[in-house]
Amino acid sequence: MTRGILGLVLRACVVLTGVALATFALLWNAPGDPALAIALARYDTVVPADVIDRVRVEAGLDGGFWAAFKGWVGPLMAGDLGRSSVTGRAVWPELAAAGSYTVPLAVAGLGIGLAISVPLAVIATRAPGGWTDRFAVALASLGAAVPAYWLGLLLILLFAVHLGWLPAMGARTRAHVILPALTLGLGVAASLTRIIRSGILEARGQQFLPALRRRGVSDRAIGRDHVVPHAAIPVVTVFGLELAFLLEGTVMVEVIFGRPGLGSFLVAAIAARDFPKVQAVVLLTALVFVVVNLLVDVVYRLIDPRIGERDA
Amino acid sequence: MTLSVSGLGAVRSGRTILHPTSLEIASGDRIGLVGASGSGKSTLGHALIDDLRAQGRGVAHVPQSPDEALDPLRSLEFHWNEAELALKAPPDADRRKRLLSALKIAGGDLGKRPWGWSRGMQQRFVIAMALIGSPELIVLDEPTSALDPVIAADTMDLLESHLNGTGTATLLITHDLGLAARRVSRLMVMDEGRVVEAASTQDLLECPRTGAAKSLCAHRSWLAVPC
Repeated sequence: MTRGILGLVLRACVVLTGVALATFALLWNAPGDPALAIALARYDTVVPADVIDRVRVEAGLDGGFWAAFKGWVGPLMAGDLGRSSVTGRAVWPELAAAGSYTVPLAVAGLGIGLAISVPLAVIATRAPGGWTDRFAVALASLGAAVPAYWLGLLLILLFAVHLGWLPAMGARTRAHVILPALTLGLGVAASLTRIIRSGILEARGQQFLPALRRRGVSDRAIGRDHVVPHAAIPVVTVFGLELAFLLEGTVMVEVIFGRPGLGSFLVAAIAARDFPKVQAVVLLTALVFVVVNLLVDVVYRLIDPRIGERDA
Repeated sequence: MTLSVSGLGAVRSGRTILHPTSLEIASGDRIGLVGASGSGKSTLGHALIDDLRAQGRGVAHVPQSPDEALDPLRSLEFHWNEAELALKAPPDADRRKRLLSALKIAGGDLGKRPWGWSRGMQQRFVIAMALIGSPELIVLDEPTSALDPVIAADTMDLLESHLNGTGTATLLITHDLGLAARRVSRLMVMDEGRVVEAASTQDLLECPRTGAAKSLCAHRSWLAVPC
């Protein structure tokens, strides 16, 4: 078990190194001279060649790819994300400020998704094929088919424009998080409902359940001790993938609702070609991904130690 | 005390797979239920268990394979405690030790999941669990077909020596007349959802009357299995 987890951590480190290298290589090889882009963004006017060269030296771009990569990774190891090439301010505080809007939104979205999908899937599987089941499946398919930008606009129309109950744009009050979180949460609920439902149905078909019933184990105990752990395996697996949806959805939802946050931060940084900021967001996203998938793997092994027995 | 059931039947997808059947099983009986695959042996076994349970009688079940009896995600100890709880038997470490020793698996680590044990040990564990409540009847549904012949014979010997003198009856369901002949005193032959013949083991083997019994006797494999 410990060896398995160490292996996973090692693998996560390899992935993060790869991501850091790939991010940097992508930006380095993007069309156009990076020094020119930085100089343009900084001075917002036509810049003479000697200024571009000065920027190139300042940004550490004159020593070639590997020197520049080392110049970026070195401070990164110490937790320093560098400075914005446009404003010259440190990236980290701005990133943290943006994250302080995004994290509550993502957590609320996930919470709403779970609060809807778990009861819905449980109710649906009480009578598989019955009308509640069909209704839940139809609802989930509809939810998965509706894109976040359209659902977001519908919610704004209903709750902000027609009913006037909730604020739509910005992030001034706590109530501002409700509509974006609902937009995210409904999308999450749609995919989770289908996975939890099929997980429960599959777990109920396990071949040892009839023998447990004949042994006199109550249905309640069977559900709690045998169906739930088996149903949890596919749900936990999908949780890592669900995060991708959540991150992607958060960027879109933030733009729709005019919320500050990592989404708006990233869009603005790309528009200004503020490379250190873009790199910081991409790396942070990758880090969250790796950490969540690491946790998923660990939980997976706790539920079913057969997983990873061979490759540990 | 005699166990009796009547009017057992089963219908699946509109087809009768078990015609109305009545059985009487005396205390300590050793009965074999034989028949070709699909003749309704297991169905009768399940219906018998469900009926007796509904009557409040003590009946235990040993399925064909440990995969059908044990949850791979739960430790063996969890299964044991769960079985005790289901029987409303208070936890008893001595009983557990005694039963596991009787089946020669007392040395196994109960903290492991089933797949941490060999299949032979798993099946013995399932049999030991079936003995927890000192049931009046144990239904053994092809209990050794997943095991190699030597381990199968050992397991059946251990179970028999444990049951001797306890009054617990056994119903051994098998398609293997050779196995049944050595283990039971009375045989019932099933064919197409009916018990078509019932007689003492010796009588049935010497003088089978129905076609199903005749064909089983003709195709028995006496030397292939040592049990």
